Amino acid sequence: MKYLKDLCQLCGISGDEDAVRAYLTERIAALPDILEMRTDALGNLLVHKKGAAEPKHTLMLGAHMDEVGLIVTGIRSDGTLSLAAVGGVDADVVLGRNVMVGEKKLPGVIGSTPIHLLSGSARDEKPKMDALYADIGAKDADEAKQYVSPGDSIYFMGEFTELGGGRVSSKAIDDRFGCAVLLELLESELPFDMWFGFFVQEEVGLRGSRTAAYAINPDFAVILEATTAADLDGVTGDAAVCRLGGGPVVSFMDRSTIYDKELYAMAFKEAQELGIPCQTKSRIAGGNDAGAVHVSREGVRTLAISVPCRCLHSPSCVAQMSDMEQCMQLTKIMMEKIAEL
Amino acid sequence: MKQQIIADMLTALCRITGISGDETNIAMVALEFLKFYCPDARISHGNVIGTCGSSDPDAPHVLLDAHIDQIGMIVTSITDDGFVTVGNVGGIDRRLLPAQRVHLHGSRVIDGVVCAMPPHLSDGDEKVPKFEDIRIDTGFSAEELRQIISPGDSVTFAGNIARLLGDRFTSPALDDRCGVAAILSALHSVKDEELPCRVTVLFSTQEEVGERGAKIGCFAANPDIALAVDVSFARNLGDSETKTGKMGEGPMIGYSPSLSKSVSKTLSCIADEVQIPWQYEVMAGTTGTNADQFSVCREGVKACTVSIPLRYMHTPAEIISLRDVMLTGELLAAYLRRCKG
Repeated sequence: MKYLKDLCQLCGISGDEDAVRAYLTERIAALPDILEMRTDALGNLLVHKKGAAEPKHTLMLGAHMDEVGLIVTGIRSDGTLSLAAVGGVDADVVLGRNVMVGEKKLPGVIGSTPIHLLSGSARDEKPKMDALYADIGAKDADEAKQYVSPGDSIYFMGEFTELGGGRVSSKAIDDRFGCAVLLELLESELPFDMWFGFFVQEEVGLRGSRTAAYAINPDFAVILEATTAADLDGVTGDAAVCRLGGGPVVSFMDRSTIYDKELYAMAFKEAQELGIPCQTKSRIAGGNDAGAVHVSREGVRTLAISVPCRCLHSPSCVAQMSDMEQCMQLTKIMMEKIAEL
Repeated sequence: MKQQIIADMLTALCRITGISGDETNIAMVALEFLKFYCPDARISHGNVIGTCGSSDPDAPHVLLDAHIDQIGMIVTSITDDGFVTVGNVGGIDRRLLPAQRVHLHGSRVIDGVVCAMPPHLSDGDEKVPKFEDIRIDTGFSAEELRQIISPGDSVTFAGNIARLLGDRFTSPALDDRCGVAAILSALHSVKDEELPCRVTVLFSTQEEVGERGAKIGCFAANPDIALAVDVSFARNLGDSETKTGKMGEGPMIGYSPSLSKSVSKTLSCIADEVQIPWQYEVMAGTTGTNADQFSVCREGVKACTVSIPLRYMHTPAEIISLRDVMLTGELLAAYLRRCKG
């Protein structure tokens, strides 16, 4: 996962994926056997790479470039910035955090009323996003307006850190992990010609993958994602959803897709033959670009391979490197097996 | 003292952590700074204490105090599944704990993330977790963790130390490292002058758990007058105008039944005389600062508060104005020059 750290530290919330696309474009442009690389109207990066053989079916691998974050909605009279969530962000994972604001990535913080000035009951209520604002240190609205405009992005500051047990924490593992897998696969020699889609705007409703899938018109698609793990202390049985260290997550169903049953079964069989663990989600939760891709045009047979990730959609996602590497292994074998279908 | 020098000093002071009861490292740094101005400076029962000014035993004796401890958490146990349980040290805002990045200070410092349920799996109306339900994920197994971490070890919040726009500065623990900086700035101003008063400087421990270092430090110093230099609330849009001061508009001078009215008025008059902007901080009873201990020390001490307005108190992203720190230093220096008893 040599590109994971770099990619996670790039800033690109939904609708503002330029930095991620530029990073990928630069590296992919230097690779051999690229038949086509183009950016569509929404900003999706679509790459067609030549492989050893002509495929029987068109296969697309997909991952999304955008991460969750916040957007400036206005400048308040005291120079602080009102904001809204871009994607599913809980207010409690941004309150009191460092952020970067706008193209210049000005350092700022997310503030709210300090606990000392809250009544007893308010201290026990989860904060609401509309009670939060960003503070870049502007002394008044006029100063703030010199640096920031409504619509500017607010990015999490979530350093890439190694934890114990082969785990890492960073912002944006969802879904720079997927981008990192796709980029490494693009560097490898492929068994047959394949399409790679780096999508925009997943976090605001699977929007980029919709036009990308239309354009590429694949027969099969494999989506690389990060999915929510709730294997926290005291969480037992199905409530854990999936577990770190349990290997790639392959779902039969989530909130956006009922997956292709043959591909689902094949993934578990291939994982077993590879000798790697593979797990499914024990709750019907979340969703990913498969939701838009599998209903594209006349339908696309779709599978999602996800890395289990704690604290998803926060500045401190936690994932395990072995799970990521196993996702990559499983993706490689699935590419080959799908070609034989 | 110039703002950049204050910023550099704050960076040095905030980079070192010291939650209440574990102030040794920050005390060593504060001691090195204090030795420039008080050659006799030493650590006594955890507090950093030094003297300067008049050697006349009949000259009035002024204590300048700022606390060196910061809020944090303390390890209470390691669960069999390898999660760390913690208790609070000082007034922690539990609302901002989910997905918070922390450092655990064991036999070495390791990173951790406070466990959180992602939005995909929460039903939206959950209460803020109680402290006994907080868990920290370090990646390590219970067995590995027990080699590194023990009950009683400190846990601090990761945060960014940065200059924002203008004279604004953000860091964890500005409460009350900026008070330490203001006092050092005052001592720098008067270092080559004959002062009419005796001065004891106290950088005190354990303020956040009940002003305990101040209690013993003041007893030891036995001053006539004691000034607690701490932080107070800087106003944001919508905050109560009577409970908050304006950031960037100078120190807040305390007026309260528990404080010495004569000292409050003297400070205000001196500020007017030397044209230092200042603000009222009126409190109806005790002050929640070390001044509450000073006033009732031994046979009683004339106590007052001088507060630096601070935003987002007790979050890892506090903000102050460097100008306020500078002006607070100037006010303290002016007071020392005029304190004839």
